[in-house]
Amino acid sequence: MELRDAQEKFREAGVALYAISYDDRKVLAELAETLGIEYPLLSDIDSSVIRDYGILNTQVEPNDGILYGIPYPGAYVTDEDGVVVEKFFRDSYKRRESAENLIEAALGRLLPGDGEPTAIGGEPEVRLTASLHGGGGTLKQGAQRKLVVRFELGEGLHVYGDPVPEGMRPTRIEVTGPPGVKVGEPSFPPTERLRIDALDLELPVWGGSFDVVIPVYATSELASECHPVERTRATLEVTVHYQACNDSTCLLPKSETLLLEVPVLPVDVQSISLHQGHGQRELAIEGERHLRRLFLRKGRAHPLGLLRFVWSQVRMELADRLRPRR
Amino acid sequence: MRPAIDELGFEAPAPIGHPGRTGLPAGYPTGPEIGERLPDFELPDPAGRTVRFHADRGNSKAVVVFYRSAVW
Repeated sequence: MELRDAQEKFREAGVALYAISYDDRKVLAELAETLGIEYPLLSDIDSSVIRDYGILNTQVEPNDGILYGIPYPGAYVTDEDGVVVEKFFRDSYKRRESAENLIEAALGRLLPGDGEPTAIGGEPEVRLTASLHGGGGTLKQGAQRKLVVRFELGEGLHVYGDPVPEGMRPTRIEVTGPPGVKVGEPSFPPTERLRIDALDLELPVWGGSFDVVIPVYATSELASECHPVERTRATLEVTVHYQACNDSTCLLPKSETLLLEVPVLPVDVQSISLHQGHGQRELAIEGERHLRRLFLRKGRAHPLGLLRFVWSQVRMELADRLRPRR
Repeated sequence: MRPAIDELGFEAPAPIGHPGRTGLPAGYPTGPEIGERLPDFELPDPAGRTVRFHADRGNSKAVVVFYRSAVW
């Protein structure tokens, strides 16, 4: 649903959005109408485009029932000539990019803030702003977000990249959150070279305004599709270490922790019996009849697969009923 | 047999190790590479209109998302 929530941002950015799956037009038409999806949901019913692109999940066989024909899910981002500039294919099928990540990849720059959670700190002449980009600044299971730390340094001031001159504090950022929040490596922009003639040195520094991007996503410990969300807010602690200097003097080294409070959301799922009753957010579409149609379509093509798949579902259902509830 | 939980904590209608639940095997190609033009495609939209990718996007940048299903 995050693509739908951000579809206006795609339009404003002038980025065309297309979504492709093996679903039939009927379910896509209903989805588009019920959820107000205006970008095209394209029906690759026999997976021919999926195959043509080379992303058919070939680990699934025709006898795997409705699963046959699915792609390895991901996204391509192109420039004005339709040439790929970035692509996102994760090794877990449930990790996916925020809509904003996709737009930012297309534009090659960060989108301006949009009312998402923000924390401000620093000192006179060094302003620090931490914000969570993506999904309106929320955490959701599997959804890749960007925690952005913006430095705004006063005239003539710089902070250090590696290798740091002896005695100076390097610029570092650490992010911690509640269990279930996964934090990636911070990505800094390229440094500038600062020449100190008196010492015959060239130092890697950052000056002016620059952004550091830290990938963050939530796993089930924080918010799962299998049970209601326990905590609806999470606090991310963003600790920034730096030392600001100008040509002649340095300010004291600093370590500051900014607290970013962000909402935690449940997962959006289709309303089929598999997903129901676990506390996620169910889409307002009665999904069983679409599932039946998918069954029959795949079953007509591979009858043995239909039987095998039904049997495996029955086993799953039994196991689900028999296991102890949390 | 218990529904299995993967590293993100998702339970899904197939056990861990089932091909439907695996992600990309290491080294598996992920289609057109960065620097390649996306192959054109022609697919119907929900209204039944045929959409031809490069013609439809014109001179715009584009994002093409492949997802597994709108049904499940």
